[in-house]
Amino acid sequence: MLESPSPSDHDLLRLIANRDESAFLTFYRRHQGLVYRFALQMSGKTEHAEEVTQDVFMVVMGSAKQYDPARGSVAAYLIGIARNFVLRSLERDRPYVVLDDPDGEPAWRLAGEQDALDDLTRQERIESLKKAVLALPPAYREVVVLCDLQELDYAEAANVLGCAIGTIRSRLHRARALLIEKMRTNERCVV
Amino acid sequence: MNENDQELLEGLRSLANDGPREAPARVEERLVNEFRRRARVRRNTIWASGGAVAAIAASLAVMMWLAPRQYAPAREQTAVVELPPMIEVPSPSGEIAMNFYALPEASELPPVENATVVRVELPMSTLRSIGFQINEERANEAVEADVLLGQDGLARGVRFVE
Repeated sequence: MLESPSPSDHDLLRLIANRDESAFLTFYRRHQGLVYRFALQMSGKTEHAEEVTQDVFMVVMGSAKQYDPARGSVAAYLIGIARNFVLRSLERDRPYVVLDDPDGEPAWRLAGEQDALDDLTRQERIESLKKAVLALPPAYREVVVLCDLQELDYAEAANVLGCAIGTIRSRLHRARALLIEKMRTNERCVV
Repeated sequence: MNENDQELLEGLRSLANDGPREAPARVEERLVNEFRRRARVRRNTIWASGGAVAAIAASLAVMMWLAPRQYAPAREQTAVVELPPMIEVPSPSGEIAMNFYALPEASELPPVENATVVRVELPMSTLRSIGFQINEERANEAVEADVLLGQDGLARGVRFVE
């Protein structure tokens, strides 16, 4: 027996505008992971990610009619909303964000130095990289999160950030260079 | 791509797969509650606006049904028409008092505590039912008026825009 096809995002948004609760639940369950992870990777805080996820879907609840497929994918639409909330919360908490911590955990270590890497568990390395990503300025951090962590293509990332694809490429290039630089700096500190 | 780049990308791939992948269940629960609350408010708003329109219609219908019996004989007996009493209520901002002519049955209703003013078009003949003398030739013409509704949705007074 053929299963009925799952409704498209566009159909769900239309139903949400008409106060269809099951459509809202389907839409939420389909996309909450994307929004939550984006917010978590941008802020590094689960409580912020939770708050942003809630805020994003509140917006969807109130303005589902406003989504225009011609302006980009649903993922781009949702991350675009999430980004505004994340940047607002980063701005709010700016005095408390650690931009650089030379005395803290090493953010990264050079490849090839197996002895040093052996001392760290995989989780510790991930935590270190997470800190390095979170220490990036927001404009660089968001391209790393979108392209490297969320695996959006450049065109989608450009759509979310409202900039040219070339800008995404150059920011990503610069962001990766900053991360590698931080790896080297931390390596020197260890030595 | 050099060794550093390769190492970085591998690390980023691990980071992408690290940590919770979904929002906690309480977020869904809160959103569903909010969705239901909004749906309820929307339904109530629709009912309230429907109810207000029905209340106006009912008030006016009752008023027009009662009024000829109360006021028409008076009009025939005397050329001097006494205007209906005035109701004074504060404007929504609370700064300016608004005066309305009391409707015939308004004195039997509870005092206005929470007023709503609705602009409507009434046939000129309604003025007669409230106590005004009108030109009978223009009785079928419409006149713009503000109707004062009480907290129960029942009309208490009227004032004429023109």
